[in-house]
Amino acid sequence: MVNKLVVDFSKCVGCRYCELWCSFKHYGVFSPSLSRIAVVKDDFIGMDQPVVCKFCDPAPCVASCPVNALIRSGDGVINVNSEACVSCSSCVESCPYGAIKLHPNNSKPIVCDLCGGNPTCVLKCPTNALRIYPVSSVDLSYRDLIKSLGKEFEKSIQLHKELMALWGVRLE
Amino acid sequence: MSRLYGYAGKILRINLSKRDVKVVDTPKEVVAKYVGGRGLNARTLYSEVGPNVHPLSPENKFMIASGPVAGTAFPIGARLNVSAKSPQTGLLGDSNVGGHFAAEMKYAGYDQIIIEGKSDKAIYIYVSDDGIEFRDAEGLKGLTVSKAYNEIRRELRDWRAQVALIGPAAEKLVKFSGVFFNVYRPAARTGLGAVLASKNVKAVVVRGEGCVEVANPKKFEEFVEGLEDSIYSHQQYWPRRVMGTSRILLTANKLGFLPVNHFQSSVAEYSYRVSGERLALEYNVKNRSCFSCVVPCSRFYVVKYGDYAGCFGEGPEYEALAAMTVRIGNDDLDAALKLVSLTNDLGMDVISVSEVISWCMELFERGMLSREEVGLSLEWGDVKSVMRLVEMIAYREGFGDVLAEGVAQAAEIIGRGKELAFHVKGLEMIQADPRGLKGYGLGFAVASRGADHLRSEPFIELLDDPKVGAEVFGEPEATLRLGIRGKGKLVAYYENWCALVDSLEVCKNIAENMEVLPPGRIAELIKVVTGLELTEAEVIKVGERIVNLERAYLVREGVRRRDDRLPKRFLEEPIKEGPSKGHTIDLDTMLDEYYIARGWDLTEGIPTAEKLTELELIDVVDDLRRAGVTLPLGRGGEEMRSTLPKVSERIKFYVGG
Repeated sequence: MVNKLVVDFSKCVGCRYCELWCSFKHYGVFSPSLSRIAVVKDDFIGMDQPVVCKFCDPAPCVASCPVNALIRSGDGVINVNSEACVSCSSCVESCPYGAIKLHPNNSKPIVCDLCGGNPTCVLKCPTNALRIYPVSSVDLSYRDLIKSLGKEFEKSIQLHKELMALWGVRLE
Repeated sequence: MSRLYGYAGKILRINLSKRDVKVVDTPKEVVAKYVGGRGLNARTLYSEVGPNVHPLSPENKFMIASGPVAGTAFPIGARLNVSAKSPQTGLLGDSNVGGHFAAEMKYAGYDQIIIEGKSDKAIYIYVSDDGIEFRDAEGLKGLTVSKAYNEIRRELRDWRAQVALIGPAAEKLVKFSGVFFNVYRPAARTGLGAVLASKNVKAVVVRGEGCVEVANPKKFEEFVEGLEDSIYSHQQYWPRRVMGTSRILLTANKLGFLPVNHFQSSVAEYSYRVSGERLALEYNVKNRSCFSCVVPCSRFYVVKYGDYAGCFGEGPEYEALAAMTVRIGNDDLDAALKLVSLTNDLGMDVISVSEVISWCMELFERGMLSREEVGLSLEWGDVKSVMRLVEMIAYREGFGDVLAEGVAQAAEIIGRGKELAFHVKGLEMIQADPRGLKGYGLGFAVASRGADHLRSEPFIELLDDPKVGAEVFGEPEATLRLGIRGKGKLVAYYENWCALVDSLEVCKNIAENMEVLPPGRIAELIKVVTGLELTEAEVIKVGERIVNLERAYLVREGVRRRDDRLPKRFLEEPIKEGPSKGHTIDLDTMLDEYYIARGWDLTEGIPTAEKLTELELIDVVDDLRRAGVTLPLGRGGEEMRSTLPKVSERIKFYVGG
């Protein structure tokens, strides 16, 4: 089973506590530029949107790397082979979520490694906007039933699917 | 001493007249004595901006400083101080604000930014890793705060850029215009927006890729965990998270210190309709937080129905909420939110705006101001007129031009209502009636920037627990809301603590009001973050030093005991109704006690030479003597008491003189 870092953006308050502890855990200093998670903010409309690796499968970043420096490990995490990396930033451009950035000093990509399974950002988040879930799927074998219950029900199930996706559960 | 951790280590000095940029090292011996933030600014202001500098002249210096913990993951350390000589009071101008600016400034590599001179055309300053850029701001002239913010970010294409900017009111040099940090976070007291405008600067933008290191990462982590525990388990955690400070409004009504109809009453029967509780239930859509803070006490609201549907923004906190509701006699929360949002968007201090408007309303009620003069009818709670008047003030139209000078000046200009103009040293009163909160009252009178609670904030009064007073200050009345004795000591103690908290740039609401960061823990924190070894007694001395330095600044500008006054209504008219009924405030008894606790001279309120020397402010002693101030000798305080006439005789002298 693959763990997944799940973001509930409706709970995020934009304190960026996650960014700081992420950089502290990995580099021993405090800097959002060294963090593997970023909270995109717009103060005017009150937007706080945490952006972090979604562990896509197949992953565009892995596919885009010309020297195969990005390798997906068994637990779904993308590992970076710094020695092979040529800092071409094609992974940064290929990521559809903007979740990869380059280290400001050595220009090697930094991407979420789930802290080995127990992410610091999740522990530190003051509002539980970040959580870690094993991605599991629930098979609803009453697809015909959904259709027969009408449009409202279908729409509700659709919304519920999105909600459950926030909990890391995929409804099929 | 080896390198200092926590600090960015550099100070940025910008001279706009010469278009000259200097980067100097943060002086270690200064931060060891003043920590940072407010202390650092006060020191620079004292040394570099003398009595002959006009606040709106190019010689005045506009300063932004943060402290050692900003930029680290310390849960409440994201604040900064903006200082300059104030155009509103002509004295010390200083305002504290939270948000994300302080941290970004540290990542860009600066502890303090000092701006002097005057640009020949409108610019905004962009501070980043690539250097300092003066960018053209002609197109931003006259734009409101939110519009200018969006324009700047559109131009920079960077969501992490943090913006400090001014609104149209500041460009018109309205005396109480503020500096706004990312739209909703104003450093608005004492009119520092006008200082930035006088330098032809529309905004200061910072952005940095750097990092902040702490001296002892392991201990720091432990310290933060301990602090998180004490915050999360605190009984005020959830109320603050849900309502921020807006919850104070109902408490103030219960205890009887609301400024209803310009302090004519202290309770309002409609208080629930305009309370933080109702705001939380019906308007708030989400919480927001400052940088690296675990108490997201700022709330994003949306007005959902009615005439003002669609009005949105962050806040308001208690001061703004009470300002636009009870102070102007308005019971319509929708309109109040619109008013707060309008005032902020135009770039003004809501507290001062509410004072000038409610002052007008009271004059209007008493027939001392006519409809023809203002151009509007100003009945209590007439929000349409208030909205128009706010715009008139911001753009200095008609009578608004008079009001834009601040209530003290406005009363001088029209020659009426001087006794009803509620200010101390030229700064308008906040939303608390000192007759129902005696320690706060003393705090207003002696605060170094004018009528303001954030210099002392002896919140412990609100608990009304005589035991604490007896134990800590040797006087049970000290911690009673309506008590008099012992307040001098209480206020002096809290002033020292507040100065320390402001210099460390942590949140006063949490560090001080929730009591999670007493001076002992601050000493520990400073050691863990910076590596500076200070004892508890030494950090308290840092606070005391800052308070004395600020007082010395005021003394050099000519402030004496006669200026430590409260408006006449609070001294003479008893409160008419509510729980504080019948109370006035006996300021002189408290002032005597305060000067004694401070070791200042009783007749003039000047720090004694001995006190200043004890606080290692020897250069200040010399400087004050050069400026022609006679510094009292001896220990001041207790020794001098016997030689003075009785308090009642002196009251006549001060009021008359």
